[in-house]
Amino acid sequence: MKFSKQQIVGAMKGAGIVPLFTHDDPDDAQQVLEAAYRGGIRVFEFTNRRENSVEVFKHLISISKKYPDLMLGIGTIMDGPTTKKFIDAGADFIISPILKVEMAKICDEHNVPWIPGCATLTEIVTAKDNGAEIIKLFPASMLGPGFVSSIMPVVPGLKLMITGGVEPNEKSLTEWFKAGATCVGMGSQLFTKEILTQKNWSLLQQRVEECLSIAKKVKK
Amino acid sequence: MTIFSNDSIQQAMRASGMIPVFYHPDIEVAKAVLDASYKGGVRVFEMTNRGENAFQVFTELLKHAQQYPDLMLGIGTIMSAENTRKFSEAGAHFIVSPILKAEMATECQRQGKLWIPGCATLTEIVTAKDLGARVIKIFPGSVLGPGFVSSIMPVVPGLQLMPTGGVEPTEANLSAWFKAGVVCVGMGSQLFTKEIIETKNWDNLQQSVEEALAIIQKIRK
Repeated sequence: MKFSKQQIVGAMKGAGIVPLFTHDDPDDAQQVLEAAYRGGIRVFEFTNRRENSVEVFKHLISISKKYPDLMLGIGTIMDGPTTKKFIDAGADFIISPILKVEMAKICDEHNVPWIPGCATLTEIVTAKDNGAEIIKLFPASMLGPGFVSSIMPVVPGLKLMITGGVEPNEKSLTEWFKAGATCVGMGSQLFTKEILTQKNWSLLQQRVEECLSIAKKVKK
Repeated sequence: MTIFSNDSIQQAMRASGMIPVFYHPDIEVAKAVLDASYKGGVRVFEMTNRGENAFQVFTELLKHAQQYPDLMLGIGTIMSAENTRKFSEAGAHFIVSPILKAEMATECQRQGKLWIPGCATLTEIVTAKDLGARVIKIFPGSVLGPGFVSSIMPVVPGLQLMPTGGVEPTEANLSAWFKAGVVCVGMGSQLFTKEIIETKNWDNLQQSVEEALAIIQKIRK
């Protein structure tokens, strides 16, 4: 294993932002990954939302060899067999929008962090009891920062990744970090349709830089 | 008793876009509400199991509904396999629940009935899907909101969702739900207002139903 669980969790907490992205074109996906890396990203989530996602992911894994400090994981994984397939392909971590316990076992066997998606405190504690060190809160915009600040005192030490509708501005990021978030996942709000259509990779790099510096500023 | 395939029920739910949800202990009121809804264009109706004599009212209503061969009459607020079996054997065309209970999936499969469990998180939704649910109720709808549906649709494409609870028969509210990607909505107290039921104003009820269905047809264009 390239990275320990602790290293990955530490890097997520350190950056405060984990970008998430999918694309069915391997070249564009590579451009996005590399622009994000140049912008300062060291933990990146590719998502399994297309027919050819495993092929594109394998391509990104081969590219990531150039960047020895880049942790590349896969998201939108829903079951055990798919978890295994992407671990075999080289995923550094596994993210899911749901809590599926069979995924925990496979991740544990391979010593890969399992980051399940939860939306209630019962789901969160079940995930924790099954070994999740970081838990994704999804869909976050619906639950809101108030949900996080309500549950943090109840389960101290909880590490939450906030995903779904997080906006790349100071106000939104401040609210989430103040509430107690460990990091935020950011997808369509960062990799806008406009940037992708125009293939404006330098603008993308710039936005990533801005976003990381806001996160650095607002999180303690 | 007309038998409908699960496919045809699903299709009818999608086509009308609105499933009324209703309960009343008085069978005459239940009949009048069903009649007015049918006249207003409803073809899929959910009676709920919310009173002591709900089973009796439902079986009576099923008999009454035989005059409408294209009406699909299901039962809601079912929480156990035992009640699933009881209402299914009585002739319910489909089974709706406010919760996700796996034993109901098994029973519905055994009976060949469409099982519509109620879910409130994506984990519950995917669990329901894995247990065979083809249509999933989002409950309580107004708490979760259209934003919940639009967040999860890209993650699990092809979901057939029916929000229920607090859905309003207004263009603003309905268009928010349908834009988010729901297949139909369940509508209860917002449609069958206390006032309408108390005054037994069935013409008014029929008109409300017509209006709600017309709004849905319009926003889908």
